[in-house]
Amino acid sequence: MISIIRQFQFIIIVFSIIGFSNNALSQKYLGLELELLELTDANVTALTPNELFDDVWVKPNVSVPNLGNSNTWIWARLNLDPVKDAGLHVEIAYATIDSLQVFMVCDGVTISDQLVGVHNTNNLNRLNIGNYPSFLIPSIDCSNLTCYIRAWSGKQLLLPVRIESSEKILSEGHFRDVLFSIYLGIVMSLLLYNLFLFFSVKDKNYLHYVLFIIAIGGTQLVLNGYDRVFHLVSIPWISLRMTHIFGILGGVLTILFSRNFLHLKKNAPFYDKLFGLLYIPYFVATLLLVLGFYNTSYDLINFSALSIIILIPASIKVWRSGDVSAGYFLVGWSVFIIAVVIFALKDFGIIPYNEATIYALPMGSAIELVVLSLALGSRINQLKKDSELAKEKELNTSLLNEKIQREQNVKLEQNVEERTSELTKTNASLSETLQNLRSTQEQLIQSEKLASIGQLTAGIAHELNNPINYVSSSAVSLKRDFIDVKEILSLIVNLDPNSESLKESIESVKSKLLELDITFTVTEIDELLEGVEDGAQRTAEIVRGLRIFSRMDGNQEIKANINELLSSTLIILRSNLKHVVDVDVDLSENLPDINCQPGKLNQVFMNIITNAAHATTDTDLKRSERSVKVSTRVVTTDNVEVIQVEISDNGVGMSKETQAQIFIPFFTTKEVGKGTGLGLSIVQGILEDHNAKVEISSTMGEGTIFILSFPT
Amino acid sequence: MINVLYLDDEEHNLTSFRAAFRRDFTVFVTTEPSEALSILRDHPIEVVISDQKMPSISGVEFFELIMPDYPNPVRMLLTGHADIDAVIDAINKGRIYKYISKPWNEAELRKLVEEASYLYKTRTESEAQATDYSIKLYSSQEKLAVLSKDLASCDELSEDSRKAYSQRIDELIEMLEVPKML
Repeated sequence: MISIIRQFQFIIIVFSIIGFSNNALSQKYLGLELELLELTDANVTALTPNELFDDVWVKPNVSVPNLGNSNTWIWARLNLDPVKDAGLHVEIAYATIDSLQVFMVCDGVTISDQLVGVHNTNNLNRLNIGNYPSFLIPSIDCSNLTCYIRAWSGKQLLLPVRIESSEKILSEGHFRDVLFSIYLGIVMSLLLYNLFLFFSVKDKNYLHYVLFIIAIGGTQLVLNGYDRVFHLVSIPWISLRMTHIFGILGGVLTILFSRNFLHLKKNAPFYDKLFGLLYIPYFVATLLLVLGFYNTSYDLINFSALSIIILIPASIKVWRSGDVSAGYFLVGWSVFIIAVVIFALKDFGIIPYNEATIYALPMGSAIELVVLSLALGSRINQLKKDSELAKEKELNTSLLNEKIQREQNVKLEQNVEERTSELTKTNASLSETLQNLRSTQEQLIQSEKLASIGQLTAGIAHELNNPINYVSSSAVSLKRDFIDVKEILSLIVNLDPNSESLKESIESVKSKLLELDITFTVTEIDELLEGVEDGAQRTAEIVRGLRIFSRMDGNQEIKANINELLSSTLIILRSNLKHVVDVDVDLSENLPDINCQPGKLNQVFMNIITNAAHATTDTDLKRSERSVKVSTRVVTTDNVEVIQVEISDNGVGMSKETQAQIFIPFFTTKEVGKGTGLGLSIVQGILEDHNAKVEISSTMGEGTIFILSFPT
Repeated sequence: MINVLYLDDEEHNLTSFRAAFRRDFTVFVTTEPSEALSILRDHPIEVVISDQKMPSISGVEFFELIMPDYPNPVRMLLTGHADIDAVIDAINKGRIYKYISKPWNEAELRKLVEEASYLYKTRTESEAQATDYSIKLYSSQEKLAVLSKDLASCDELSEDSRKAYSQRIDELIEMLEVPKML
């Protein structure tokens, strides 16, 4: 605050010097010599002084009578000294009298009648433009020379009357002109400066301020009577209301500017509302003015203007909240309000009415305008600072955000990494599980294989052991038989045809033949030899079958004949099926070889044939009634040649539900522990590998037919 | 000579069996179970040998079939291969004496047949003995009963002595009941 005052020290000093150093300020107003008459009747306009001589005139007892704001006609009379005052002027040093008429009455006879004011703007009766209305005191020989003044005003009316020489009035007028020019200069420069700022900054505060300057400057212009001097408005209707108009404009713009400048809505909502309410009296004042109630309107305007005082607490509040520009605002308005107070006190005669007090208002307003301009400048700075701060803040925020983002990125990356490693772990454990499952599956398949191999082993062992048994046993028996034969032979060889005992010897051979039952032995030898031969053949056959069958492990594709595979499978199965069922085999002779995995196909045939055989045992059929048929054929459909293997049985058959599930792994109709339920699912896998199709038709109680179709 | 019956669906086995043992035993061979039954009926067979895996009937089933009528011939299972279930059945149901696997060892098989024959003989003899003892016991009991009756009508003995004798006879009858129970 102090710093602000210091800044304005210069201006204050300048104005003080201008105001108080002037000698002209020591004017003498003749209020004490005046006599006043107030006429309330409007119809008395046409009255002449003569008609009023006998009325009761009152002495105001103040140097400058304040006649207030009333719609009345004021008459004032001043006795002049016809000798001393001749050549001098009666000056009414008040600019806003709307109607002013001055009569010079010499010994009861009106000798001059001059009218000024709105009703007669052309006759200004001024010595110079800066002057107040002044009227020449004629040099006339009278005993009593009286000046009658008739005044009417739509606003405040004061009558500062004095008698001065034209030189003095002129010089004073010049001085006032200079002062007002300075004031106007200040106003104009501020106006242009702020207008320029408005255009460059585009802040509506500046526009409000420019309008505010116009209103304030205009008010001073009007209050000091320069509007009439410059013929600013030639329409009497407006001219009469100029003071009011500028008063209203000044008030409204003050409200507008202050509210926006102080951001009252945000900073002090209570004051904002209060200011908002102030529009109402101004609006009413405007209405009254239009309707012609000048004085009431003027009162209302003045009353509303008084409310400007609430700007002080409002701006203090805003300033305290940290807005430096509100401080300037406060100073500006404080100065102005002080000026207004001085101005008002002067009007009521509390402080002397002189040039200094008269100029308090324009001086105050000039200071105010300058300070407010500074306030706006400070506002710019603040805005700049604010925006810089905001930018800095924004920058900081963005930097912070960036930092946070970077940190988050790192975190995110970390998370991603963690998640990835988790996923990798999960994946690893999953593939491990999969591996386990696979190996379990392989083990199951392997055990299924082993089970079928185990099942086979019994049959094969039996199948092999039989021929081996009788071959080896026959060999021993043959040896023994041959001992007998050899014995007979040696007897025969030792026969001597020349011997006398030949006959006896022959007899003994014969008896030996009978003893050893050689006939039987020879038959037996034949039988045994046949058995050996057959056994050797059987053994060879089984071994060959085994060799074909045991291609189970070989997974590579080779050319093979399905008939051969079926035969070998049947050999292997023979002993297993021997006590179960007789297998009818009908194999097509001209079956082409196909590319296949023989070992795997053997597994397929063995599985289906074994199932067929088992199906027959689950019935009430006797062995001789049971039937399993295996046949092969070549079928051509749509020019496509396929090899069909049909395996049929007259066993129990399958229900539709069972048929639908037979290829599903682990599905079995056998008792627990009797089958893995994998056989047919493996079969299906093998057949798929061979692009072979499976057709199944089965009826409960009648049997099942499997038809496998292999592409050639 | 020991009477041996051999049942096998494989003709060559029968031939070689007969060739191997005809000099030692009286060998009966057949591929048909029904023929085996008639052989059993017509000849005092001491040892029955059967193959396990045959088309119409298994060896165990055959033994089960003949056991009620011919419990004494000693049964032996001769097979190329038998799973554990077949062996268990052979022991529990077929009450076999020996399980022999093919190919057979001739000397061993001969020895086993002889042992079986011995077992058969022992079995038959002890049975005969038992019958003999039973008859003797039975006649003793009858004699004692008669004695007890006589004792009751004997006036020469005092009442006390009669009672003592009677008690003694009852005790003896009671004692004789025990072997009868066997």
